[in-house]
Amino acid sequence: MNPVIQQASESIGMGGMATILTLLFMVAFFAWVWYAYTPRNRQKFEDAALLPFEEGVDR
Amino acid sequence: MEKSASAGTGVPAAIYDDDIVKKFAIATILWAAVGMLVGVIIALQLAWWPANLGLPWTTFGRLRPLHTNAVIFAFGGNICFTGIYYSMQRLLKTRMWSDTLSKIHFWGWQLIIVSAAVTFPLGLTQSREYAELIWPIDIAITLVWVAFAINFFGTIATRKVKHIYVAIWFYMSFVITIAVLHIVNNLAMPATFLRSYPLYSGMTDALVQWWYGHNAVGFFLTTPFLGLMYYFLPKAAERPIYSYRLSIVHFWGLIFLYIWAGPHHLLYSGLPDWAQTLGMVFSIMLLAPSWGGMLNGLLTLRGAWHRLRTDPVLKFMVVGVSFYGMSTFEGPMMSIRAVNGLAHFTNWVVGHVHSGALGWNGMLSFAVLYWLVPRLWNKPLARPAMATQHFWLATIGIVLYTVSMWAAGLMEGLQWRAVGDGGLLANPIFIDIVHRLEPFYWLRLVGGTLYFVGALMAVYNFWKTIRGPESVSADAAAPVPAT
Repeated sequence: MNPVIQQASESIGMGGMATILTLLFMVAFFAWVWYAYTPRNRQKFEDAALLPFEEGVDR
Repeated sequence: MEKSASAGTGVPAAIYDDDIVKKFAIATILWAAVGMLVGVIIALQLAWWPANLGLPWTTFGRLRPLHTNAVIFAFGGNICFTGIYYSMQRLLKTRMWSDTLSKIHFWGWQLIIVSAAVTFPLGLTQSREYAELIWPIDIAITLVWVAFAINFFGTIATRKVKHIYVAIWFYMSFVITIAVLHIVNNLAMPATFLRSYPLYSGMTDALVQWWYGHNAVGFFLTTPFLGLMYYFLPKAAERPIYSYRLSIVHFWGLIFLYIWAGPHHLLYSGLPDWAQTLGMVFSIMLLAPSWGGMLNGLLTLRGAWHRLRTDPVLKFMVVGVSFYGMSTFEGPMMSIRAVNGLAHFTNWVVGHVHSGALGWNGMLSFAVLYWLVPRLWNKPLARPAMATQHFWLATIGIVLYTVSMWAAGLMEGLQWRAVGDGGLLANPIFIDIVHRLEPFYWLRLVGGTLYFVGALMAVYNFWKTIRGPESVSADAAAPVPAT
Protein backbone atom coordinates (compact mmCIF):
# COMPACT_ATOMS: atom_id res chain seq x y z
CA MET A 1 0.00 0.00 0.00
CA ASN A 2 1.04 3.57 -0.60
CA PRO A 3 2.92 4.55 2.60
CA VAL A 4 1.10 7.88 2.85
CA ILE A 5 -2.32 6.21 2.71
CA GLN A 6 -1.16 3.52 5.14
CA GLN A 7 0.04 6.12 7.61
CA ALA A 8 -3.23 8.01 7.33
CA SER A 9 -5.30 4.88 7.83
CA GLU A 10 -3.30 3.89 10.90
CA SER A 11 -3.45 7.33 12.46
CA ILE A 12 -7.22 7.65 12.38
CA GLY A 13 -8.36 4.05 12.03
CA MET A 14 -11.29 2.67 10.08
CA GLY A 15 -13.64 3.09 13.04
CA GLY A 16 -12.87 6.79 13.30
CA MET A 17 -13.31 7.30 9.56
CA ALA A 18 -16.64 5.46 9.59
CA THR A 19 -17.84 7.54 12.55
CA ILE A 20 -16.95 10.85 10.94
CA LEU A 21 -18.46 9.90 7.59
CA THR A 22 -21.64 8.57 9.18
CA LEU A 23 -22.08 11.85 11.06
CA LEU A 24 -21.40 13.90 7.93
CA PHE A 25 -23.89 11.88 5.90
CA MET A 26 -26.51 12.24 8.62
CA VAL A 27 -26.03 16.01 8.71
CA ALA A 28 -26.38 16.11 4.91
CA PHE A 29 -29.55 14.00 5.08
CA PHE A 30 -31.19 16.17 7.73
CA ALA A 31 -30.17 19.25 5.75
CA TRP A 32 -31.98 18.24 2.56
CA VAL A 33 -35.01 16.94 4.42
CA TRP A 34 -35.20 20.28 6.26
CA TYR A 35 -34.80 22.14 2.95
CA ALA A 36 -37.65 20.14 1.42
CA TYR A 37 -40.06 20.36 4.35
CA THR A 38 -39.43 23.72 6.00
CA PRO A 39 -42.71 25.70 5.95
CA ARG A 40 -40.87 28.64 4.42
CA ASN A 41 -40.40 26.68 1.17
CA ARG A 42 -43.93 25.28 1.00
CA GLN A 43 -45.36 27.80 -1.46
CA LYS A 44 -42.20 27.76 -3.57
CA PHE A 45 -42.40 24.01 -4.10
CA GLU A 46 -46.15 24.00 -4.67
CA ASP A 47 -45.56 26.50 -7.48
CA ALA A 48 -42.66 24.45 -8.80
CA ALA A 49 -44.86 21.35 -9.08
CA LEU A 50 -46.96 23.24 -11.67
CA LEU A 51 -44.01 24.05 -13.96
CA PRO A 52 -44.72 21.18 -16.41
CA PHE A 53 -48.09 22.78 -17.16
CA GLU A 54 -46.80 26.25 -17.88
CA GLU A 55 -45.10 25.70 -21.20
CA GLY A 56 -45.16 28.71 -23.50
CA VAL A 57 -46.24 31.04 -20.71
CA ASP A 58 -43.80 33.75 -19.72
CA ARG A 59 -43.65 34.79 -16.10
CA MET B 1 -55.04 22.30 -16.61
CA GLU B 2 -53.19 21.50 -19.79
CA LYS B 3 -55.63 23.41 -21.97
CA SER B 4 -55.30 26.60 -19.96
CA ALA B 5 -51.53 26.31 -20.05
CA SER B 6 -51.22 25.77 -23.79
CA ALA B 7 -53.69 28.57 -24.42
CA GLY B 8 -51.40 30.99 -22.60
CA THR B 9 -49.68 33.76 -24.47
CA GLY B 10 -46.14 34.93 -24.00
CA VAL B 11 -43.37 32.73 -25.37
CA PRO B 12 -44.72 30.98 -28.47
CA ALA B 13 -44.17 27.23 -28.53
CA ALA B 14 -42.40 27.65 -31.88
CA ILE B 15 -39.27 28.89 -30.12
CA TYR B 16 -38.53 25.32 -29.10
CA ASP B 17 -36.37 23.09 -31.26
CA ASP B 18 -38.64 20.08 -31.76
CA ASP B 19 -36.81 18.94 -34.87
CA ILE B 20 -34.04 17.46 -32.71
CA VAL B 21 -36.66 15.80 -30.49
CA LYS B 22 -38.21 14.15 -33.55
CA LYS B 23 -34.80 12.89 -34.69
CA PHE B 24 -34.06 11.33 -31.32
CA ALA B 25 -37.56 9.82 -31.15
CA ILE B 26 -37.13 8.10 -34.54
CA ALA B 27 -33.67 6.86 -33.54
CA THR B 28 -35.15 5.46 -30.30
CA ILE B 29 -37.81 3.51 -32.17
CA LEU B 30 -35.34 2.06 -34.69
CA TRP B 31 -32.67 1.07 -32.14
CA ALA B 32 -35.31 -0.46 -29.87
CA ALA B 33 -36.17 -2.92 -32.64
CA VAL B 34 -32.51 -3.67 -33.43
CA GLY B 35 -31.36 -4.07 -29.82
CA MET B 36 -34.28 -6.32 -28.87
CA LEU B 37 -33.86 -8.43 -32.04
CA VAL B 38 -30.25 -9.18 -31.03
CA GLY B 39 -31.55 -10.04 -27.54
CA VAL B 40 -34.00 -12.54 -29.00
CA ILE B 41 -31.25 -14.06 -31.15
CA ILE B 42 -28.88 -14.63 -28.24
CA ALA B 43 -31.75 -15.96 -26.10
CA LEU B 44 -32.34 -18.50 -28.87
CA GLN B 45 -28.63 -19.34 -28.92
CA LEU B 46 -28.70 -20.18 -25.21
CA ALA B 47 -31.61 -22.56 -25.74
CA TRP B 48 -30.40 -23.91 -29.10
CA TRP B 49 -26.72 -23.32 -29.82
CA PRO B 50 -26.77 -23.97 -33.60
CA ALA B 51 -28.41 -20.54 -33.83
CA ASN B 52 -24.91 -19.08 -33.60
CA LEU B 53 -24.57 -20.23 -37.24
CA GLY B 54 -21.10 -21.57 -36.56
CA LEU B 55 -19.63 -18.20 -37.54
CA PRO B 56 -17.29 -16.24 -35.27
CA TRP B 57 -19.14 -12.97 -35.94
CA THR B 58 -22.47 -14.31 -34.70
CA THR B 59 -21.38 -16.19 -31.59
CA PHE B 60 -22.89 -15.37 -28.20
CA GLY B 61 -19.72 -13.77 -26.85
CA ARG B 62 -19.75 -11.15 -29.60
CA LEU B 63 -23.49 -10.56 -29.88
CA ARG B 64 -24.13 -10.27 -26.14
CA PRO B 65 -22.26 -6.95 -25.76
CA LEU B 66 -23.95 -5.79 -28.95
CA HIS B 67 -27.33 -6.49 -27.32
CA THR B 68 -26.51 -4.83 -23.98
CA ASN B 69 -24.94 -1.76 -25.58
CA ALA B 70 -27.75 -1.42 -28.11
CA VAL B 71 -30.57 -1.56 -25.58
CA ILE B 72 -28.83 0.54 -22.90
CA PHE B 73 -27.03 3.20 -24.92
CA ALA B 74 -28.94 3.16 -28.23
CA PHE B 75 -32.54 2.56 -27.11
CA GLY B 76 -32.15 3.84 -23.53
CA GLY B 77 -29.82 6.70 -24.45
CA ASN B 78 -31.94 7.96 -27.33
CA ILE B 79 -35.20 7.92 -25.35
CA CYS B 80 -33.50 9.89 -22.56
CA PHE B 81 -32.25 12.46 -25.08
CA THR B 82 -35.70 12.58 -26.69
CA GLY B 83 -37.37 13.32 -23.37
CA ILE B 84 -34.64 15.68 -22.18
CA TYR B 85 -34.63 17.85 -25.31
CA TYR B 86 -38.44 18.00 -25.28
CA SER B 87 -38.99 18.67 -21.59
CA MET B 88 -36.03 20.86 -20.64
CA GLN B 89 -36.83 23.47 -23.29
CA ARG B 90 -40.39 23.66 -21.97
CA LEU B 91 -39.50 23.56 -18.28
CA LEU B 92 -36.88 26.29 -18.75
CA LYS B 93 -38.94 28.17 -21.38
CA THR B 94 -36.00 28.56 -23.69
CA ARG B 95 -34.67 27.00 -26.86
CA MET B 96 -31.63 24.73 -26.64
CA TRP B 97 -28.52 26.85 -26.24
CA SER B 98 -27.00 25.73 -29.56
CA ASP B 99 -28.76 23.91 -32.41
CA THR B 100 -25.35 23.00 -33.83
CA LEU B 101 -24.34 21.22 -30.63
CA SER B 102 -27.73 19.45 -30.62
CA LYS B 103 -27.00 18.15 -34.13
CA ILE B 104 -23.43 17.16 -33.23
CA HIS B 105 -24.84 15.28 -30.25
CA PHE B 106 -27.46 13.49 -32.33
CA TRP B 107 -25.31 12.45 -35.30
CA GLY B 108 -22.27 11.75 -33.12
CA TRP B 109 -24.28 9.44 -30.88
CA GLN B 110 -25.77 7.53 -33.82
CA LEU B 111 -22.32 7.18 -35.39
CA ILE B 112 -20.98 5.72 -32.13
CA ILE B 113 -23.84 3.21 -32.10
CA VAL B 114 -23.08 2.18 -35.67
CA SER B 115 -19.38 1.79 -34.81
CA ALA B 116 -20.41 -0.48 -31.92
CA ALA B 117 -22.53 -2.56 -34.28
CA VAL B 118 -19.47 -2.99 -36.53
CA THR B 119 -16.73 -3.57 -33.94
CA PHE B 120 -18.52 -6.04 -31.62
CA PRO B 121 -19.25 -8.71 -34.26
CA LEU B 122 -15.61 -8.33 -35.39
CA GLY B 123 -14.56 -9.28 -31.88
CA LEU B 124 -13.05 -5.88 -31.05
CA THR B 125 -13.59 -5.31 -27.35
CA GLN B 126 -11.74 -4.08 -24.28
CA SER B 127 -13.63 -6.64 -22.16
CA ARG B 128 -15.08 -4.21 -19.60
CA GLU B 129 -18.73 -4.95 -18.95
CA TYR B 130 -21.10 -2.32 -20.42
CA ALA B 131 -17.93 -0.49 -21.54
CA GLU B 132 -16.70 -2.97 -24.16
CA LEU B 133 -16.11 -0.35 -26.85
CA ILE B 134 -12.47 0.08 -27.83
CA TRP B 135 -10.53 3.22 -26.93
CA PRO B 136 -10.95 5.31 -30.13
CA ILE B 137 -14.73 5.00 -29.75
CA ASP B 138 -14.44 5.82 -26.03
CA ILE B 139 -12.75 9.10 -26.99
CA ALA B 140 -15.54 9.81 -29.50
CA ILE B 141 -18.11 9.20 -26.73
CA THR B 142 -16.28 11.65 -24.49
CA LEU B 143 -16.26 14.36 -27.17
CA VAL B 144 -19.95 13.90 -28.02
CA TRP B 145 -20.87 13.86 -24.35
CA VAL B 146 -18.96 17.10 -23.74
CA ALA B 147 -20.84 18.70 -26.67
CA PHE B 148 -24.12 17.56 -25.07
CA ALA B 149 -23.05 18.80 -21.62
CA ILE B 150 -22.10 22.26 -22.91
CA ASN B 151 -25.44 22.55 -24.69
CA PHE B 152 -27.32 21.20 -21.67
CA PHE B 153 -25.76 23.54 -19.11
CA GLY B 154 -25.80 26.42 -21.61
CA THR B 155 -29.56 25.97 -21.83
CA ILE B 156 -29.88 25.94 -18.04
CA ALA B 157 -27.72 29.07 -17.81
CA THR B 158 -29.94 30.95 -20.26
CA ARG B 159 -33.23 29.74 -18.79
CA LYS B 160 -36.27 32.02 -18.42
CA VAL B 161 -37.58 30.26 -15.29
CA LYS B 162 -35.86 30.77 -11.96
CA HIS B 163 -36.64 27.43 -10.35
CA ILE B 164 -35.05 24.35 -11.89
CA TYR B 165 -37.75 21.66 -11.90
CA VAL B 166 -36.87 18.33 -10.26
CA ALA B 167 -36.75 16.46 -13.60
CA ILE B 168 -33.84 18.65 -14.67
CA TRP B 169 -31.96 17.90 -11.44
CA PHE B 170 -32.23 14.22 -12.33
CA TYR B 171 -31.00 15.01 -15.88
CA MET B 172 -28.07 16.97 -14.40
CA SER B 173 -26.97 14.00 -12.31
CA PHE B 174 -27.11 11.92 -15.52
CA VAL B 175 -24.98 14.33 -17.55
CA ILE B 176 -22.33 14.88 -14.86
CA THR B 177 -22.05 11.38 -13.42
CA ILE B 178 -21.94 9.53 -16.74
CA ALA B 179 -19.05 11.80 -17.82
CA VAL B 180 -17.10 10.99 -14.65
CA LEU B 181 -17.88 7.26 -14.79
CA HIS B 182 -17.04 6.94 -18.47
CA ILE B 183 -13.69 8.69 -18.20
CA VAL B 184 -12.46 7.00 -15.01
CA ASN B 185 -13.54 3.50 -16.07
CA ASN B 186 -11.98 3.79 -19.54
CA LEU B 187 -8.56 5.16 -18.60
CA ALA B 188 -6.19 2.98 -20.59
CA MET B 189 -2.87 2.93 -22.41
CA PRO B 190 -3.38 2.33 -26.14
CA ALA B 191 -1.05 -0.25 -27.65
CA THR B 192 -2.38 -0.15 -31.21
CA PHE B 193 -5.33 1.59 -32.83
CA LEU B 194 -7.59 -1.30 -31.83
CA ARG B 195 -6.03 -2.52 -28.56
CA SER B 196 -5.32 -0.96 -25.19
CA TYR B 197 -4.44 -1.94 -21.63
CA PRO B 198 -6.42 -0.66 -18.64
CA LEU B 199 -4.80 1.66 -16.14
CA TYR B 200 -5.90 -0.56 -13.25
CA SER B 201 -5.19 -4.17 -12.45
CA GLY B 202 -6.46 -6.92 -10.20
CA MET B 203 -8.95 -6.09 -7.47
CA THR B 204 -8.70 -2.34 -8.10
CA ASP B 205 -9.71 -2.96 -11.69
CA ALA B 206 -12.68 -5.05 -10.59
CA LEU B 207 -13.80 -2.34 -8.17
CA VAL B 208 -13.50 0.42 -10.81
CA GLN B 209 -15.46 -1.71 -13.28
CA TRP B 210 -18.31 -2.31 -10.86
CA TRP B 211 -18.27 1.21 -9.52
CA TYR B 212 -18.85 2.09 -13.18
CA GLY B 213 -21.14 -0.85 -13.91
CA HIS B 214 -23.58 -0.30 -11.11
CA ASN B 215 -23.65 3.44 -11.56
CA ALA B 216 -24.40 2.90 -15.24
CA VAL B 217 -27.58 1.28 -13.86
CA GLY B 218 -27.98 4.15 -11.40
CA PHE B 219 -27.22 7.14 -13.57
CA PHE B 220 -28.01 5.91 -17.10
CA LEU B 221 -31.02 3.67 -16.47
CA THR B 222 -32.43 5.27 -13.32
CA THR B 223 -31.92 9.02 -12.82
CA PRO B 224 -32.68 10.22 -16.38
CA PHE B 225 -35.70 7.92 -16.49
CA LEU B 226 -36.88 9.32 -13.16
CA GLY B 227 -36.52 12.76 -14.73
CA LEU B 228 -38.76 11.54 -17.55
CA MET B 229 -41.22 10.19 -14.97
CA TYR B 230 -41.34 13.50 -13.11
CA TYR B 231 -42.17 15.36 -16.33
CA PHE B 232 -44.21 12.97 -18.46
CA LEU B 233 -46.25 11.26 -15.73
CA PRO B 234 -47.80 14.55 -14.52
CA LYS B 235 -48.35 15.53 -18.17
CA ALA B 236 -50.08 12.27 -19.05
CA ALA B 237 -52.09 12.19 -15.80
CA GLU B 238 -52.91 15.91 -16.18
CA ARG B 239 -52.14 16.63 -12.55
CA PRO B 240 -49.00 17.73 -10.71
CA ILE B 241 -46.68 15.28 -9.00
CA TYR B 242 -48.11 13.95 -5.72
CA SER B 243 -45.43 15.58 -3.55
CA TYR B 244 -42.81 17.91 -4.95
CA ARG B 245 -41.10 17.95 -1.56
CA LEU B 246 -40.80 14.18 -1.56
CA SER B 247 -39.22 14.43 -5.01
CA ILE B 248 -36.43 16.58 -3.53
CA VAL B 249 -35.72 14.01 -0.81
CA HIS B 250 -35.96 11.30 -3.50
CA PHE B 251 -33.36 13.04 -5.67
CA TRP B 252 -30.76 13.76 -3.00
CA GLY B 253 -31.24 10.42 -1.26
CA LEU B 254 -30.94 8.49 -4.49
CA ILE B 255 -27.82 10.11 -5.94
CA PHE B 256 -26.12 10.16 -2.55
CA LEU B 257 -26.61 6.44 -1.93
CA TYR B 258 -26.30 5.02 -5.45
CA ILE B 259 -22.68 6.00 -5.99
CA TRP B 260 -21.54 3.68 -3.15
CA ALA B 261 -23.49 0.56 -4.12
CA GLY B 262 -21.06 -0.93 -6.71
CA PRO B 263 -19.15 -3.25 -4.36
CA HIS B 264 -22.27 -5.45 -3.97
CA HIS B 265 -21.14 -6.98 -7.28
CA LEU B 266 -17.96 -8.18 -5.54
CA LEU B 267 -19.27 -9.95 -2.44
CA TYR B 268 -17.17 -12.97 -1.44
CA SER B 269 -14.35 -11.66 -3.67
CA GLY B 270 -10.85 -10.43 -2.78
CA LEU B 271 -12.25 -6.97 -2.09
CA PRO B 272 -11.63 -5.92 1.53
CA ASP B 273 -14.49 -7.04 3.75
CA TRP B 274 -15.38 -3.54 4.92
CA ALA B 275 -15.78 -2.36 1.32
CA GLN B 276 -18.10 -5.29 0.57
CA THR B 277 -20.18 -4.46 3.62
CA LEU B 278 -20.25 -0.79 2.66
CA GLY B 279 -21.62 -1.69 -0.79
CA MET B 280 -24.22 -3.97 0.77
CA VAL B 281 -25.39 -1.45 3.39
CA PHE B 282 -25.76 1.39 0.87
CA SER B 283 -27.64 -0.93 -1.48
CA ILE B 284 -30.14 -1.80 1.24
CA MET B 285 -30.59 1.87 2.15
CA LEU B 286 -31.37 2.59 -1.52
CA LEU B 287 -34.73 0.95 -0.98
CA ALA B 288 -35.95 4.05 0.87
CA PRO B 289 -35.48 6.74 -1.82
CA SER B 290 -36.41 4.28 -4.57
CA TRP B 291 -39.76 3.45 -3.01
CA GLY B 292 -40.31 7.10 -2.10
CA GLY B 293 -39.99 7.86 -5.81
CA MET B 294 -42.21 4.98 -6.86
CA LEU B 295 -44.96 6.02 -4.44
CA ASN B 296 -44.63 9.62 -5.59
CA GLY B 297 -45.25 8.44 -9.15
CA LEU B 298 -48.15 6.12 -8.34
CA LEU B 299 -49.88 8.52 -5.95
CA THR B 300 -49.83 11.17 -8.67
CA LEU B 301 -52.57 9.09 -10.28
CA ARG B 302 -54.93 9.43 -7.31
CA GLY B 303 -58.28 10.44 -8.72
CA ALA B 304 -57.22 9.39 -12.21
CA TRP B 305 -57.06 5.62 -11.84
CA HIS B 306 -60.21 5.13 -13.95
CA ARG B 307 -58.29 6.52 -16.93
CA LEU B 308 -56.07 3.45 -16.86
CA ARG B 309 -58.88 1.51 -18.52
CA THR B 310 -58.69 3.56 -21.67
CA ASP B 311 -55.34 5.33 -21.85
CA PRO B 312 -52.45 3.13 -23.08
CA VAL B 313 -49.90 5.80 -22.08
CA LEU B 314 -50.96 5.56 -18.42
CA LYS B 315 -51.06 1.76 -18.60
CA PHE B 316 -47.42 1.69 -19.73
CA MET B 317 -46.45 4.27 -17.11
CA VAL B 318 -48.09 2.56 -14.17
CA VAL B 319 -46.60 -0.82 -15.00
CA GLY B 320 -43.23 0.84 -15.62
CA VAL B 321 -43.22 2.62 -12.27
CA SER B 322 -44.44 -0.55 -10.55
CA PHE B 323 -41.53 -2.48 -12.03
CA TYR B 324 -39.24 0.28 -10.80
CA GLY B 325 -40.56 -0.50 -7.32
CA MET B 326 -40.25 -4.27 -7.74
CA SER B 327 -36.73 -4.28 -9.13
CA THR B 328 -35.54 -1.76 -6.52
CA PHE B 329 -36.87 -4.12 -3.86
CA GLU B 330 -35.28 -7.17 -5.45
CA GLY B 331 -31.92 -5.42 -5.92
CA PRO B 332 -31.30 -4.51 -2.27
CA MET B 333 -32.42 -8.00 -1.28
CA MET B 334 -29.93 -9.59 -3.70
CA SER B 335 -27.14 -7.41 -2.34
CA ILE B 336 -27.41 -9.08 1.08
CA ARG B 337 -24.42 -11.41 1.43
CA ALA B 338 -26.40 -14.57 2.18
CA VAL B 339 -28.88 -13.99 -0.67
CA ASN B 340 -26.06 -13.01 -3.01
CA GLY B 341 -24.26 -16.25 -2.22
CA LEU B 342 -27.24 -18.03 -3.74
CA ALA B 343 -27.99 -15.63 -6.58
CA HIS B 344 -24.54 -14.64 -7.84
CA PHE B 345 -23.57 -15.99 -11.30
CA THR B 346 -27.05 -17.50 -11.76
CA ASN B 347 -29.83 -16.55 -14.17
CA TRP B 348 -31.65 -14.83 -11.30
CA VAL B 349 -29.36 -11.85 -11.97
CA VAL B 350 -30.39 -11.88 -15.63
CA GLY B 351 -34.05 -11.94 -14.56
CA HIS B 352 -33.49 -9.06 -12.15
CA VAL B 353 -31.80 -6.92 -14.79
CA HIS B 354 -34.63 -7.54 -17.25
CA SER B 355 -37.36 -6.77 -14.75
CA GLY B 356 -35.70 -3.37 -14.48
CA ALA B 357 -34.81 -2.99 -18.16
CA LEU B 358 -37.97 -4.37 -19.81
CA GLY B 359 -40.32 -3.42 -16.99
CA TRP B 360 -39.09 -0.03 -15.86
CA ASN B 361 -36.98 1.42 -18.71
CA GLY B 362 -38.83 -0.21 -21.59
CA MET B 363 -42.40 0.42 -20.41
CA LEU B 364 -41.65 4.03 -19.42
CA SER B 365 -39.91 4.61 -22.78
CA PHE B 366 -42.88 3.36 -24.75
CA ALA B 367 -45.21 5.45 -22.56
CA VAL B 368 -43.20 8.56 -23.39
CA LEU B 369 -43.17 7.68 -27.10
CA TYR B 370 -46.93 6.99 -27.24
CA TRP B 371 -47.53 10.35 -25.53
CA LEU B 372 -44.95 12.28 -27.52
CA VAL B 373 -45.15 11.06 -31.13
CA PRO B 374 -48.75 12.26 -31.74
CA ARG B 375 -47.87 15.66 -30.24
CA LEU B 376 -44.58 16.10 -32.08
CA TRP B 377 -46.07 15.34 -35.48
CA ASN B 378 -49.45 16.85 -34.57
CA LYS B 379 -51.29 13.74 -35.71
CA PRO B 380 -53.49 11.26 -33.83
CA LEU B 381 -52.02 7.86 -33.01
CA ALA B 382 -52.78 5.69 -36.05
CA ARG B 383 -53.74 2.50 -34.18
CA PRO B 384 -54.74 3.21 -30.56
CA ALA B 385 -56.02 -0.36 -30.08
CA MET B 386 -52.66 -1.72 -31.19
CA ALA B 387 -50.96 0.28 -28.42
CA THR B 388 -53.09 -1.56 -25.87
CA GLN B 389 -52.26 -4.91 -27.52
CA HIS B 390 -48.58 -3.95 -27.34
CA PHE B 391 -49.02 -3.23 -23.64
CA TRP B 392 -50.47 -6.67 -22.91
CA LEU B 393 -47.92 -8.55 -25.02
CA ALA B 394 -45.09 -6.69 -23.27
CA THR B 395 -46.50 -7.27 -19.79
CA ILE B 396 -47.03 -11.00 -20.36
CA GLY B 397 -43.56 -11.17 -21.95
CA ILE B 398 -41.90 -9.62 -18.89
CA VAL B 399 -43.72 -11.97 -16.53
CA LEU B 400 -42.61 -15.04 -18.51
CA TYR B 401 -39.07 -13.69 -18.69
CA THR B 402 -38.64 -12.91 -15.00
CA VAL B 403 -40.44 -15.98 -13.67
CA SER B 404 -38.44 -18.37 -15.87
CA MET B 405 -35.17 -16.73 -14.84
CA TRP B 406 -36.09 -16.78 -11.14
CA ALA B 407 -36.80 -20.49 -11.39
CA ALA B 408 -33.63 -21.13 -13.39
CA GLY B 409 -31.48 -19.06 -11.04
CA LEU B 410 -32.81 -20.65 -7.86
CA MET B 411 -32.34 -24.11 -9.34
CA GLU B 412 -28.77 -23.35 -10.37
CA GLY B 413 -27.86 -21.72 -7.08
CA LEU B 414 -29.30 -24.54 -4.99
CA GLN B 415 -27.83 -27.33 -7.11
CA TRP B 416 -24.34 -25.76 -7.18
CA ARG B 417 -24.19 -25.65 -3.40
CA ALA B 418 -26.06 -28.90 -2.64
CA VAL B 419 -23.96 -31.27 -0.59
CA GLY B 420 -24.70 -34.97 -0.20
CA ASP B 421 -23.70 -37.55 2.41
CA GLY B 422 -20.03 -37.34 3.35
CA GLY B 423 -19.75 -33.69 2.31
CA LEU B 424 -19.42 -34.34 -1.42
CA LEU B 425 -21.12 -32.15 -3.98
CA ALA B 426 -24.53 -33.55 -4.88
CA ASN B 427 -24.11 -32.31 -8.48
CA PRO B 428 -20.40 -32.63 -9.19
CA ILE B 429 -20.77 -32.40 -12.98
CA PHE B 430 -21.37 -28.73 -13.80
CA ILE B 431 -22.66 -29.34 -17.31
CA ASP B 432 -25.53 -31.43 -15.91
CA ILE B 433 -26.92 -28.32 -14.25
CA VAL B 434 -26.44 -26.33 -17.46
CA HIS B 435 -28.51 -28.90 -19.35
CA ARG B 436 -31.32 -28.59 -16.82
CA LEU B 437 -31.62 -24.90 -17.71
CA GLU B 438 -32.88 -25.66 -21.20
CA PRO B 439 -36.66 -25.52 -20.57
CA PHE B 440 -36.26 -22.23 -18.72
CA TYR B 441 -34.25 -20.82 -21.61
CA TRP B 442 -37.06 -21.72 -24.03
CA LEU B 443 -39.61 -20.08 -21.75
CA ARG B 444 -37.44 -16.95 -21.55
CA LEU B 445 -37.21 -16.93 -25.33
CA VAL B 446 -41.02 -16.94 -25.54
CA GLY B 447 -41.22 -14.03 -23.08
CA GLY B 448 -38.53 -12.03 -24.86
CA THR B 449 -40.14 -12.68 -28.25
CA LEU B 450 -43.52 -11.42 -27.01
CA TYR B 451 -41.83 -8.24 -25.80
CA PHE B 452 -40.01 -7.88 -29.14
CA VAL B 453 -43.21 -8.39 -31.16
CA GLY B 454 -44.83 -5.68 -29.04
CA ALA B 455 -41.96 -3.34 -29.88
CA LEU B 456 -42.41 -4.11 -33.60
CA MET B 457 -46.09 -3.20 -33.28
CA ALA B 458 -44.98 0.13 -31.81
CA VAL B 459 -42.63 0.67 -34.75
CA TYR B 460 -45.52 0.01 -37.16
CA ASN B 461 -47.89 2.22 -35.16
CA PHE B 462 -45.46 5.14 -35.09
CA TRP B 463 -44.66 4.68 -38.79
CA LYS B 464 -48.37 4.85 -39.69
CA THR B 465 -48.83 7.82 -37.36
CA ILE B 466 -45.94 9.84 -38.77
CA ARG B 467 -46.83 9.02 -42.39
CA GLY B 468 -50.55 9.46 -41.74
CA PRO B 469 -52.74 12.46 -42.63
CA GLU B 470 -52.57 15.70 -40.63
CA SER B 471 -55.16 15.84 -37.89
CA VAL B 472 -58.28 17.60 -39.16
CA SER B 473 -59.56 18.97 -35.89
CA ALA B 474 -57.96 19.77 -32.59
CA ASP B 475 -60.09 17.08 -30.92
CA ALA B 476 -58.92 14.33 -33.22
CA ALA B 477 -55.38 14.59 -31.98
CA ALA B 478 -54.23 14.38 -28.42
CA PRO B 479 -53.95 17.90 -26.99
CA VAL B 480 -51.03 19.57 -28.68
CA PRO B 481 -49.34 22.86 -27.84
CA ALA B 482 -49.78 25.43 -30.58
CA THR B 483 -46.92 25.41 -33.06
